[in-house]
Amino acid sequence: MNFDFTEDQHEIKRTARELLAKRSGIEQIREAAEGEAYDESLFTELRELGWTGIAIDEQYGGAGLGVVELMILSEELGYALAASPFLPNALGGLMIEHAGSDEQRAKWLPGIASGEATATVAFASDGTAEVVADADGAAVIVLIDGEEATLIAREDAEVEPLITIDPTRRYARVSASGGEPLPGDVAGALARAEVALSAEMVGIAQRTQEMGVEYAKERKQFDTPIGAFQAISHRCAQMLFDTEGARSATYFGGWAADADESQLAFAAAIAKAAASEAALSVTASSIQVHGGIGFTWEADVHWFFKRAQLDAAMLGGIGKQRARVTQLTAASLATAGGA
Amino acid sequence: MDLTFNESESAFRDELRAWIKANHPGEEPAGEDEGYAFRRDWQRQLYEAGWAAVHWPTEFGGRDASLVEAAIFNEELARARAPFPANVLGLLLAGPTLMIWGDEEQKQRYLDPIMSGDEIWCQGFSEPEAGSDLASLKSKAVRDGDDWLITGQKVWTSGAQYSKWCMFVARTDFDAPKHKGLTYFILDMEQEGVEIRPLRQITGDPEFNEIFLENARVPNANVLGGEGNGWTVALTTLMNERAGLAFGLQVGMTVALDELTEQLAASGKLDDPMIADELGALRIKCEILRLTAYRGLTATMKYGQPGPEGSLTKWMWSQGNQELMQFATKALGPQALTGSSTWGRAMLRSRGNSIEGGTTEVLKNIIAERVLGLPRKK
Ligand SMILES: Cc1cc2nc3c(=O)[nH]c(=O)nc-3n(C[C@H](O)[C@H](O)[C@H](O)COP(=O)(O)OP(=O)(O)OC[C@H]3O[C@@H](n4cnc5c(N)ncnc54)[C@H](O)[C@@H]3O)c2cc1C
Repeated sequence: MNFDFTEDQHEIKRTARELLAKRSGIEQIREAAEGEAYDESLFTELRELGWTGIAIDEQYGGAGLGVVELMILSEELGYALAASPFLPNALGGLMIEHAGSDEQRAKWLPGIASGEATATVAFASDGTAEVVADADGAAVIVLIDGEEATLIAREDAEVEPLITIDPTRRYARVSASGGEPLPGDVAGALARAEVALSAEMVGIAQRTQEMGVEYAKERKQFDTPIGAFQAISHRCAQMLFDTEGARSATYFGGWAADADESQLAFAAAIAKAAASEAALSVTASSIQVHGGIGFTWEADVHWFFKRAQLDAAMLGGIGKQRARVTQLTAASLATAGGA
Repeated sequence: MDLTFNESESAFRDELRAWIKANHPGEEPAGEDEGYAFRRDWQRQLYEAGWAAVHWPTEFGGRDASLVEAAIFNEELARARAPFPANVLGLLLAGPTLMIWGDEEQKQRYLDPIMSGDEIWCQGFSEPEAGSDLASLKSKAVRDGDDWLITGQKVWTSGAQYSKWCMFVARTDFDAPKHKGLTYFILDMEQEGVEIRPLRQITGDPEFNEIFLENARVPNANVLGGEGNGWTVALTTLMNERAGLAFGLQVGMTVALDELTEQLAASGKLDDPMIADELGALRIKCEILRLTAYRGLTATMKYGQPGPEGSLTKWMWSQGNQELMQFATKALGPQALTGSSTWGRAMLRSRGNSIEGGTTEVLKNIIAERVLGLPRKK
């Protein structure tokens, strides 16, 4: 029992934090959001560093590391709120690697690993997915509809770019029919994607918690730092409570994905629910701590709040995860009781 | 990261599981005193088989078990629905405090009977005027030759009626600043100067008490950690309370949640999506508590003593358990509030969770100030 990263994993985390502090500061996010375009050079740099292929098998040009390492990067990218197609591409990679056929893997994974031909994941109903991240620039779209998933080449899909409340990421509406089904374990692959997505939200929660705490130490009213008022300090403690809880659940998900598949479905559901709740509540709370300034376009916290809203809805919302948790535990108790 | 148990941890668990199976004492009898006697017998049984204080060093009769194994011990006990040992405050609070602050003689004298349950301990910290603001306590100890004479009042003292010894904090210097003038005593409860009056709790049970002291006598040899050092010693006790207790209690919450899930499934109520949703939310909280407790364990093994983060799991547990009990009585319907159900009583008892061992508000203060570094309220 050792619930901590290895030294190598800590090193990945530190390196990512340092690099992104330089390459994806608030100014760059603002520029990308207001210009409605990604900083191409950032994504190129991440590709050159091999981040895009971190969890993809070496035979397809990846680094062959696990979901845990991908989760670490995803958390740091969330912390930096990096404006890049990294995450959707990684989610698509997980789907194809873990549910695709050998042929599908050979066809798509090298491009995903190098970042030259990216993927994304779309949650569809009757062939239409209302909001899909980074579909327009993708080479391939993994369309998930219920328990089935199909691969759609970008040119075979109808992709309509959309404006959402989150300008830090590009979104689109996607419709398609046909496509090639993924023959493997779609649920298991999706669970891995949920963990990677949860990690981004943990990063968002961590960052906005820090922003709120820092502001509470600096800002004075009634001749007192506002962080000395319990209504504020207890709010900050609650942010830590939510963030750390989401982190525990998400890291459990990463570990289960790499080491114990029997717990993965449960762990991923918990991770996605907890991380969504934390990202939503902590970003909102941080706005409140900032007062009027928090409500302005000029302050930085709103970018995180907006990303949190879209992330929490991605791959199915909190209600779906809770229902799944109950269903899984009731089933496992029934088996244990019957045995 | 490795969330499995290694070979020796698994072996530990298997051995314990087999032992519990062969020695399970059965259902705890109703009634405060009967239940207590039952848990005391159970502790004796654990002691004789060497299971009473697994994480204590072998020189004091433990197994030198790792923190993980100690966690496994709590998990297995709860999973088997076996009772916790009677002397829980002795094992979790007094023992570790004695090991850190006690002199050789004190360790030799007190640790073994804590483990066997021959001598029960209680915690005499809170007073009518000093709860959250513990350092303002007023019980007064004055020197009388080789002894101290203590006069004052304690309140909410759990298990005092069964106790031989009390972890007692009193003021020995009224001129010093409030945190500096305190001393930690090992007080003999069986003496004329100590009067115990039961207090009925919300559940109707007299689990805790008031204690009145009138020149109660404590030999100077029973000062723990030195005169004037009482606040620091008390903090050791409190850190162990928050970190240690939450671990065992977390498992209790899982067991209760399992039971509730089974009952709701059996009555068909799980098909109600509102019920399934709330139950899912609770399960998520419960798992997060378990996982965060394990993360804390890893941190403690790396960096030593439990830190202020222990406050987080105590808070998670108290909030989760209260929500669980409130939800249970709602979901099961009004029959859960009748005398034939255990849920109503459990729900009432859970209201104390956010008060005992430091209120949630105080825990939030600790997290804000000591973990997040926010300024202290003037
Ligand atoms: C079931 C149970 C068992 C117990 N067993 C023991 C025992 O064995 N030994 C023992 O010594 N004690 C025991 N206690 C006592 C417990 O530790 C105290 O009740 C607790 O510390 C709170 O103190 P108080 O009751 O005086 O409340 P107060 O301190 O008066 O608090 C009243 C309210 O004010 C809030 N408050 C107080 N100070 C602050 C602050 N600075 N910031 C924000 N809010 C604040 C509190 O959170 C609370 O909501 C037990 C309590 C319970 C419920």
